[in-house]
Amino acid sequence: MKNRQSPIVNIQYSITIGWLYPELMSTYGDQGNIIVLKKRCEWRKINAQVLKLNEGFNEKLLDSIDILFMGGAQDVQQEIVSNDFTSSKVKILKKKVENGTPGLYICGAYQFLGKYYKEADGNKIKGLDIFDLYTEHPGVGKERLIGNIAIKTSDGSVVVGFENHGGRTYLGKNLKPFGQVIKGYGNNSIDSTEGAIYKNSIGTYLHGPILPKNPLLADYLIKTALKVKYDKDLELEKLDDSLEEKARMAIAKRLQIAI
Amino acid sequence: MNIFLIFFGKIVIFISKILNLGNGSTWPGHVALNIDKNFIKNIIEKNKDLKIILIAGTNGKTTTGKLIQTILEGSGKRVFQNTAGANLLNGVASSLTKFSSISGKINFDYAIFEIDENTLPLILKNIKPEIIILINLFRDQLDRYGEVNAISKKWKDALASLDSKPSLILNSDDPQIAYLGDAIKNEVKYFGVKGRKSQNTEHASDSTYCPKCASKLNYKTATFSHLGDWECSKCHLKKPKPDVENFDKYPLPGLYNKYNIHAAVLTARELGISNEKIKKALINFQPAFGRQEIIKYKNKKIQIFLSKNPASFNQSLNIITELKARHLLIILNDRIPDGRDVSWIWDVDFEKYLENFTEILVAGDRACDMALRLKYAGMDNFKTYESLKIAVTEALKGTPDNEILYTLPTYSAMLDLRKILTGKSIL
Repeated sequence: MKNRQSPIVNIQYSITIGWLYPELMSTYGDQGNIIVLKKRCEWRKINAQVLKLNEGFNEKLLDSIDILFMGGAQDVQQEIVSNDFTSSKVKILKKKVENGTPGLYICGAYQFLGKYYKEADGNKIKGLDIFDLYTEHPGVGKERLIGNIAIKTSDGSVVVGFENHGGRTYLGKNLKPFGQVIKGYGNNSIDSTEGAIYKNSIGTYLHGPILPKNPLLADYLIKTALKVKYDKDLELEKLDDSLEEKARMAIAKRLQIAI
Repeated sequence: MNIFLIFFGKIVIFISKILNLGNGSTWPGHVALNIDKNFIKNIIEKNKDLKIILIAGTNGKTTTGKLIQTILEGSGKRVFQNTAGANLLNGVASSLTKFSSISGKINFDYAIFEIDENTLPLILKNIKPEIIILINLFRDQLDRYGEVNAISKKWKDALASLDSKPSLILNSDDPQIAYLGDAIKNEVKYFGVKGRKSQNTEHASDSTYCPKCASKLNYKTATFSHLGDWECSKCHLKKPKPDVENFDKYPLPGLYNKYNIHAAVLTARELGISNEKIKKALINFQPAFGRQEIIKYKNKKIQIFLSKNPASFNQSLNIITELKARHLLIILNDRIPDGRDVSWIWDVDFEKYLENFTEILVAGDRACDMALRLKYAGMDNFKTYESLKIAVTEALKGTPDNEILYTLPTYSAMLDLRKILTGKSIL
């Protein structure tokens, strides 16, 4: 069986995707998000490079990143990441977020970008304080929020995925949620919000991974990255997303919602 | 009470067999445990001569159990096992019902129980096993089990609080498993597999960090996923020396089966069975259902490779590539036994293997998700089916009589597939 032809690289446009801690923060098929970003660039002949930022990475590398991505993790591994995130790394990351570098932060990473995470036993772990939010685990024995989920984002589009988290996240007054829950639990199963969006940084509990079934979101990240880097609005070439659409419809049917 | 529960259970097993209902392997135990939560404990205590072997781990439980059963039976022992996949307390209780007399007497020498990861601590409260075999821990069904570290912690606590002294048979190449031997005072024996010079570990590697101090592990050699010759860069905890890492008779192909076979050989040696007897018994070994099992169907041959998580899927792709497979049917379900979350398919290294197949068909409850995975792995020549029956028919049509149709199903998909091919359900 033949593979897709390798793309002709368009030297005119190129972006660098920075994958923060792929060895440590990669639990729920997070690799899929990277694959989708890379492929959707390649299919449009945009040169896309993936830079893996592992434990001990040189903070200068952050300067060259056009899209930031960070996934979920096991507790022990999150601690290693926390130790590796020196104050100067945090400073650079904050600056990038403020300057509008698009980013996608899933599950553990989303929580980590908030003010703190209170564990089931009451122990508080400090976050990076980039998002005005905090997360609390309601205590040992309390149910995790698990299942297929659909949300509506502010532009009216529907994002589908799967969520699985013990912690409940609460947003600060001025922080916008990424979307409103249509079916599922969302940030805390109480206020119908899901995730958070600040400038062009998105934090969310949706994995699945999120990008394969939500190509609009993948394209938003790519488009924004190009806009920030080249300072102009570029229309992305349309791709055949019929298979993606079919997969979305399958989930919608499951959740008994209309997309 | 026991007599009634056993009698009742036997009737249920009998009826489900006749009606082909396929739930005789869990339901009687479920009912028995609801009425008497000490059902397992009581019946075991009545049968002091019955020796029990427990097997836990993410991948390889069923095959390892079947290997041990084959070896023990080859030495004239009477052995029974719980039905593959029926590995919660209710599955164990059901098999005790099935293999005991009405009065609760079990006329067997050995019981081999494969045990679900979460159930191991529970079963250890009911049973005093002779041997506990822990094969591996891979990421699997995170929605149900949680993370790998959480399970190994539960196991460690359960083993530390044992009041009996079973022998432990542990995988030396899996850091999380090998480390369990450190904390336990019991007799511990290790099995491993000689690896190749370390390349990069596969993407979905879980335990490349030290189980003791959480520093990065170095690998001198690796077999697959996070299994290999590991050593901590900081505290120098390292792979224990294996008691078995080679054998001269492998009844099943595949690197992952070497682990299963070594675990079985080591267990047999612990039970005093000679090498000659082990080798002789394994000549007649038949794979467990769905584990490389070949089914003949209308002049065609179909081989089933249960592929239920990234580690087992990668191994399946690896071995069918070695077998020069050309026709492939992938079936992805997301029912409770499969895990409701299918994110894991993005941790499978499809990119490495897909070039080799002439035809790929995709089916199952989450066929669209699998199709997307293949698309983004660079494929454009696969077909997606809503109906498994039609997919099987089409796949067989496309497979010449002298070739094999290779199928990679998740757990419930494997049961569905077997039902289509054999007309019978198992669980």
